[in-house]
Amino acid sequence: MTRLTAFFLLLFPVLASAAGGGHESGHGEAEAKHEVSAKALPLLEHSSMASWLTNSVFVAGLVTLILLWFFRSAMQRKALIPDTKQNFVELIVEFLYGQVENIVGAKIAPSAFPLLATIFIYVTVSNWFGLLPGVGTIGLSDHIGALHSTTHVATPLLRPGTADMNLTLGIALCSLLAWLFITIREMGVWGTLMHIFGPKGGLKGGLKYALMPIFFIVGLIEVISILFRPMTLSLRLYGNVFAGENLLHTMSSLVKSGNTTIDFLSSVLVPLPFYFLEIMVGVLQGMVFALLCAVFIKLSTTHDEEHDEAHAAH
Amino acid sequence: MAILDQLGIDYPKIIAQIIVFGLVYLILSKYAFGPVTALLELRRSRIADGEANLDKIKENLSSSQAQAAAALEKANAEANRIVKEATDAAAAIAEAKKQDAVAEAQSIITKAKEATELERTRVMDELKRDFGRLVIDTTTKVTGKTLGSEDHARLNKEALAQIAV
Repeated sequence: MTRLTAFFLLLFPVLASAAGGGHESGHGEAEAKHEVSAKALPLLEHSSMASWLTNSVFVAGLVTLILLWFFRSAMQRKALIPDTKQNFVELIVEFLYGQVENIVGAKIAPSAFPLLATIFIYVTVSNWFGLLPGVGTIGLSDHIGALHSTTHVATPLLRPGTADMNLTLGIALCSLLAWLFITIREMGVWGTLMHIFGPKGGLKGGLKYALMPIFFIVGLIEVISILFRPMTLSLRLYGNVFAGENLLHTMSSLVKSGNTTIDFLSSVLVPLPFYFLEIMVGVLQGMVFALLCAVFIKLSTTHDEEHDEAHAAH
Repeated sequence: MAILDQLGIDYPKIIAQIIVFGLVYLILSKYAFGPVTALLELRRSRIADGEANLDKIKENLSSSQAQAAAALEKANAEANRIVKEATDAAAAIAEAKKQDAVAEAQSIITKAKEATELERTRVMDELKRDFGRLVIDTTTKVTGKTLGSEDHARLNKEALAQIAV
């Protein structure tokens, strides 16, 4: 299995190189065309009804099916003594649950865990999916014909889900809603408002009332920062994955010697180290996204008394 | 808004991606996280039960061992008591038997002595009688005269006196 993956990882630059070909003219317009598009492209350009169906949504659907198939097959014959697949799933779930419980606490963990674990798994698998051969390199070209080697794929059929701002923003909005739901359920509406706008630090008496306007202004700033969270979360993830796509694309077509053999070999060897980097970045970004969401939940569901006690203990 | 267009942000696409993500969330919650966490919880509770049972078994074992030791000690004490009683009884019986045997022997000895005494008396009486008769017969033959009953009594008396000496 590992060898097969390695083979495909090696094959990807070859395919990319083959698709990118050795027919470079080298002028500016062609170079500009080699850049990865910043946005996902619709698969059915002429259909206004299916404008939502982009290559990224298509890959997101594929990833969903893969996850469905994997988890369904792993848990179909669930038993107290697990087989290899079930064991693997249990390992992931147990590890993630432990991490979530450590951050948000044992009380909030059961309600926060499914969303946070889904974010981590979905984002990580989507990121890694972008490293598979064919993603970004198979699609429609400006030049179509039998045995025609094209210099650029105009509309790739597959684009990593997380390289689409719509997906990262969608996940971030979902996490914001989940954060709001969990916070209100734990603290209540009044408790949430007091947590944001109310005086902190156990102030009492005249000082409390004197500082209330300041805490109110701080609360307004807090609200703005909360509203900006989806943007920061989604841009961070999108930026990393999109940058990774660009990096691999650039590295695979970096050497333009004019010699087909050298160009072919360099398109295989040059991007190879960056694949390992992207594998790491893929899991790291999934973890960062999920951990930040967990921290946001933890911060908003911590009662002030607990906070004060924790401070006193320190 | 140019930046949104540049990044390809579009409401239908966001909604489509949210639906896809929502599906993943539902699928994983239903087929992975729910069953797995339930299974892990079941396994954890079984392990906890097993450990509790193990502790209970250990406790029972130590209690049983203590009970067995106590029973063994009691049995040993009982056995010792019985052996001691048996030994004492045997010694008492042996002593009684010995006393009986001594008494029996004493009785036999006494009876034998009495019998011997009686036999000796009888023999002495016979001897005295025979000796008296012999003295009288001898005296009669030597003297040649017939002895009267007074002579007989005197000779018997003298002969018996001589025998006694």
